Amino acid sequence: MSFDTIAIGHTVTGTPFSPTRETIREFCDASLDYNPLHWDDDYMKGHFGKTQFGGIIMHGMTNFGLITRMLTDWLYPLGGVHRRLETRWKAPVKPGDTIVPHATVTAKKETGKSRWAVLAVEVKNQHGVVVAQGEAMAEFPH
Amino acid sequence: MTSNAQAAVAVDFWTDEKRRKVWDDIVPGAPRKTIPYVLTKEAIQAYCRSVGDLHPLYMDEDYAKASPYGGLIAPPSIHILLMFACTPMDDWMRSPGTVNAGQSWSYNVPARPGDTIRMDARALDKFIKKDRLFVIHDNVFFNQNDDVICSGRGWTIRPM
Repeated sequence: MSFDTIAIGHTVTGTPFSPTRETIREFCDASLDYNPLHWDDDYMKGHFGKTQFGGIIMHGMTNFGLITRMLTDWLYPLGGVHRRLETRWKAPVKPGDTIVPHATVTAKKETGKSRWAVLAVEVKNQHGVVVAQGEAMAEFPH
Repeated sequence: MTSNAQAAVAVDFWTDEKRRKVWDDIVPGAPRKTIPYVLTKEAIQAYCRSVGDLHPLYMDEDYAKASPYGGLIAPPSIHILLMFACTPMDDWMRSPGTVNAGQSWSYNVPARPGDTIRMDARALDKFIKKDRLFVIHDNVFFNQNDDVICSGRGWTIRPM
């Protein structure tokens, strides 16, 4: 596959990820993000603005890391470069869930100096619920 | 989790809590104080393991050296670590209960082991929506050569 042969509608699927209390703690240590949303059960009995989670939740940015991994695993062999990722978190992910990232090529564009692909990205849990959604952009230099 | 580990985490997040700005104090446009951070191979690889991303460009020096990158690099999403590594303990980004609503990032050159990373950061906007207090923050990471590594915006819901 190359930029020229990538079809609009081409899909890429990432590796399933099943967060546990331990993987969430590992992400705390690796990211230095010790927000108690991710480790403090007593704290999570409370309300956050208008939100009540009912237990610890995975870092939203873990979705970001999983989407990035899916994109770079696809792009590196093609000589592509991951250039942009925008995501919104739609639902919390909790220990025991299994999430899988997906991407679909929605557009290709040749600019004055390079070539680009735009992808819609999302992460779904084991119930088919979209937990993260957004858009990515990859460059395929000449 | 042991009580000791829990205590250590609690100290990390609640230390300096009273010195942190709340939503009312945050001035869009005002620069945030940040601290430079030396990115190590060990920190990159610990991050990679935490998201199961074991690509040899991040993990295998010989493979990376023979690649177009000429050596080990960090994955683009390493800004997840850099954000907190460059953020002082008394910064509002560390306020307990901060909820991340979404982020967008653009990537230029990869970060590498040994880089000294600098973050330029500020709140860009703040607003009230659906009875929640939002702040938009923008952040740019540079390496020691003043090359932009990546730039990004985040939407957070502030604790009330």
